[in-house]
Amino acid sequence: MKDFRKIAEERHAINEGIRAFFQSRTYLEVETPILVESPGMEPNLTPFETHVEEPNGKRHLAGLITSPEYSMKKLLGQGLERIFTLTKVFRNQESLGGIHNPEFTMLEWYQIGKDYHACMDETQALLSHLGFHEEIERYRVRDVFLREAGIDLDDATKETLEKTCKTLGIHCDPTDTESDLFYRLFLEKVEPTFQGKNLFLYDYPRHQASLSDLTPDGRYGQRFELYINGVELCNGFTELTNAVEQRSRFMEEAHERETLGKPVYPIDEELLRLLPSIHKPTFGNALGVDRLHMVLKGYSQIQDVLLFPANNLFTHQ
Amino acid sequence: MASPNDIKKGTVINRNGELWMVIDFQRVSPGKGSSFVRTRTKHLQSGKVKEENFKSAENLTFEDVQYKKMQYLFQDGVLYTFMDNQTYEQTSIAASEIEDTIPYLKEGMEVKVVMHEGNALTIEAPQKVQYTVVYTEPAVKGDTASGNVLKEAELDNGLKVKVPAFINQGDEILVNTDTGAYAERVSK
Repeated sequence: MKDFRKIAEERHAINEGIRAFFQSRTYLEVETPILVESPGMEPNLTPFETHVEEPNGKRHLAGLITSPEYSMKKLLGQGLERIFTLTKVFRNQESLGGIHNPEFTMLEWYQIGKDYHACMDETQALLSHLGFHEEIERYRVRDVFLREAGIDLDDATKETLEKTCKTLGIHCDPTDTESDLFYRLFLEKVEPTFQGKNLFLYDYPRHQASLSDLTPDGRYGQRFELYINGVELCNGFTELTNAVEQRSRFMEEAHERETLGKPVYPIDEELLRLLPSIHKPTFGNALGVDRLHMVLKGYSQIQDVLLFPANNLFTHQ
Repeated sequence: MASPNDIKKGTVINRNGELWMVIDFQRVSPGKGSSFVRTRTKHLQSGKVKEENFKSAENLTFEDVQYKKMQYLFQDGVLYTFMDNQTYEQTSIAASEIEDTIPYLKEGMEVKVVMHEGNALTIEAPQKVQYTVVYTEPAVKGDTASGNVLKEAELDNGLKVKVPAFINQGDEILVNTDTGAYAERVSK
């Protein structure tokens, strides 16, 4: 049975702990909009859509953010150097419960002048500040793929990925891209080995680089994820600040969204205009606070740490 | 053709002529690229369970299944018999097809029978079912203060669940059939 007071008190202490940690490191807490024109271009995410209506009847397409990332980067571009935000984010077409909830709390922080390795250090310090003192190992994506799936990502091609899937008896589809095949191997062979382990996984293949800068050899994105006992907790980058490259990734994503029959949002031109003013390197990290609450206090489901979980709010078909 | 995004619990997927029913699924999204649906499916003839991941953009073939509301009547050996309350037609299903649901069955309970081409494949229990507590120890004084102390209770169909300390013998409670956990007390 749910103990509302206990959950509320735990979350209160976690939020206070987060704020104290970042204030002690001279970060500035900022507020960013939840209702925006371009809510996120990631092809696999489905934002909630709505309209903004003015009194004169003028209507603007709008959506709820899937992450405060674009706004945070605009603030970096305006010269803010160390910022964090605790905000609600929204993702439609996600499970109600388990480790997903369509509305969840995100902690994002950015620091100019440091890269993703410094960000992993700071993430570990934050967890320790909040009472999590277990060891966290660090592995390159390439090393775990070599160990668990026997494939070297340094020279993997779509063909070798497909061959590896077939050898391991993993179901593939004729439409699979290099990225899909990578993820099939990850889901079947790699991620299951994270059960009961705490680890940072870093240097993702180029096709998984997302909004990260590339490693000096150009093969991998400077991106990391943290898994605590098999649960993915955060996703951090050395941020891409090249507006030309960013535009081309946005165009690719827009094209993918179109192919998937998903709405395509206008490219956030203000973001692209401000991006080049962000100094290199800059790290950023997005951490799910509800999952953090689960991990810190030993809960197994997200609905256990939410006072109003979506699976209780939406019960009518 | 159907999309893996439309998968639900109970969806029957035809894979090269074999029927697999989804018993659990989860959408997973990588930081980049396509989203996937992780599934646990049960082979409808052999009962074999397998895990498989489908990309959202894949094409799958779903088999049409019907859900028929029926009432649980009785058990005879390994067969469980259900009746359609409109037509009085009876159907028997083997224990092995409904293993997960058997602990929750009680006489007269309404279930959904999953039908495919005239055959009863399996059943689904309502998400919450009401039972009477036939035995539980009285609460020890002082235990109720913290509010989260659980104790064992036996229900009218033999099912045992953990209930909060304030539940007494004779109380009516709802049990969640997905998790087997106590859900709430039914006010009298």
